[in-house]
Amino acid sequence: MKTGQRNTSKVHDDVAIFSAGTLDRATFWNRVHGLKNVIQGHSGRRWALLCEDSSWFAAGFMALANCRRLIVLPQSSLAGAVGKDHEFDLILSDHPENYPGLHCINIQATGTIADGMACFPDDDVRVEFHTSGSTGSPKCVPKAFAQLRNEVQTLENQWGASLGQAVIISTVPHHHLYGLLFRVLWPLLSGRPFLASVCLHPDGLRNLPVQLPKIIVSSPAFLSRIDNFSELPPAAEVAAVFSSGAPLPDETAMKFVKIWGRSVTEVYGSTETGGIAWRAASVDGKRRPWRAFSGVELDLRQEPSGDRLWVKSPCTWQSGWMATGDLARIHADGGLELLGRSDDVIKIADKRVSLGEIRIQLAAHTMVADARLVLVAGRRSIIGAVVILNASGQSLLKSSGKKAVCDALRAWLRERYEPVMIPKKWRFVDAFPGTDMGKIENQRMLQLFT
Amino acid sequence: MNTLVQELKQLIIDSLDLEDIGPDDIDPQAPLFGAGLGLDSIDALELGVAIQKRFHIKLDNDPAATRQHFQSVTSLARFIESKAK
Repeated sequence: MKTGQRNTSKVHDDVAIFSAGTLDRATFWNRVHGLKNVIQGHSGRRWALLCEDSSWFAAGFMALANCRRLIVLPQSSLAGAVGKDHEFDLILSDHPENYPGLHCINIQATGTIADGMACFPDDDVRVEFHTSGSTGSPKCVPKAFAQLRNEVQTLENQWGASLGQAVIISTVPHHHLYGLLFRVLWPLLSGRPFLASVCLHPDGLRNLPVQLPKIIVSSPAFLSRIDNFSELPPAAEVAAVFSSGAPLPDETAMKFVKIWGRSVTEVYGSTETGGIAWRAASVDGKRRPWRAFSGVELDLRQEPSGDRLWVKSPCTWQSGWMATGDLARIHADGGLELLGRSDDVIKIADKRVSLGEIRIQLAAHTMVADARLVLVAGRRSIIGAVVILNASGQSLLKSSGKKAVCDALRAWLRERYEPVMIPKKWRFVDAFPGTDMGKIENQRMLQLFT
Repeated sequence: MNTLVQELKQLIIDSLDLEDIGPDDIDPQAPLFGAGLGLDSIDALELGVAIQKRFHIKLDNDPAATRQHFQSVTSLARFIESKAK
């Protein structure tokens, strides 16, 4: 792989790091060769790859791709979801006991072949990602290996030289595009070791068995929950913190700069489009516009709700220009500003209403733990609110009834928004209807109002 | 007058598809728009149409007068009675 001026060309001896011990490069590739041998003994073409450990996941990925098998990455690794929603012939897993009744190969029982040589897949080998679709069933997004390698090359060109040698620590799963690229393929192809287990708590980011700078691959959900920055490794030991999945709240971006002393690098993209742009707050904590990755073209197309962002790059799943779900503005110098989800901005009584903005205001009420808004279409379209109350909200609901709670929340929103923008219908729930990946589904939200 | 007030309350609830609210929850003196029931400009249009249909009356084209008539359930009742005479 082509690298920057500094010494990432120095490939680290280890592919993966565990809480105790490491996996060196030769052993890793011996495993891949052993696995290839087993895979070739099965005629099945579509293989679901379901490993908890990233080193097994990486070995399985490389072996399947080298054998030109189609790799299916289910949206969730839960047995129920896997069997029902995805099409595959076999499963390759480090936890076969999780998939009773399905044809599953235990990846850890496949043996090694002492060859030691790295081997990389053909460009046209396919990988199928799954994201939560708008209909409620997972949406399949196929990509070619060449596209994934292309994305890795873009990341290395953008940051490789400044990062140097480092160990990758991740709080996100490896079976979605962001995790697969940042947590597995980029490290593997650039010769950086990665931590084999996912880090689920800030504590896990400390006391690692390696003396290398750290690259933290995370998400707004994780980073915005860090209150105690002493739980993080000191900024001096960290080469970079990446965040993707949604925009990082301003408050969180600011906190990292002000308290921890380093900014978070955010990556904007989707499974369908691949990486689109990145940004990092300045040293005084100010947000800066997004910058498109090299090779990504941007365009705005006018719609009733605003200007929707379209992208064109070698990494989109369909060739040509692709619509994103976001409204945007492009500055004269090429800087990109995201203005919210296009489906979040609705028109009601000829007024443009940002459901996202009203949602934030609603969620800021002292009785509200979280809230979502949906447009309930009909002869007359109205805004519906789905609210999770906190303890004080629950107690008012219990003592004074739904109307009292609704009245209080309506009054709160009326301070800031015109009457037509206030939700007409209210639903109080314990949890939003959604998937186990934490994605909330609009369709199931709407069912609350029918 | 009293039956008319009751009828109007039910008409407001039905025509505006109001949830979680019964006729007894509507204070006949309280403002319909803004703070009180919190109805909006689209509600005003819907309610106007519903009243014209139900009581076979024509609404004035004068916004100031209309605003006054639509102030509360009581003022609406008074307005409808005056039109019926």
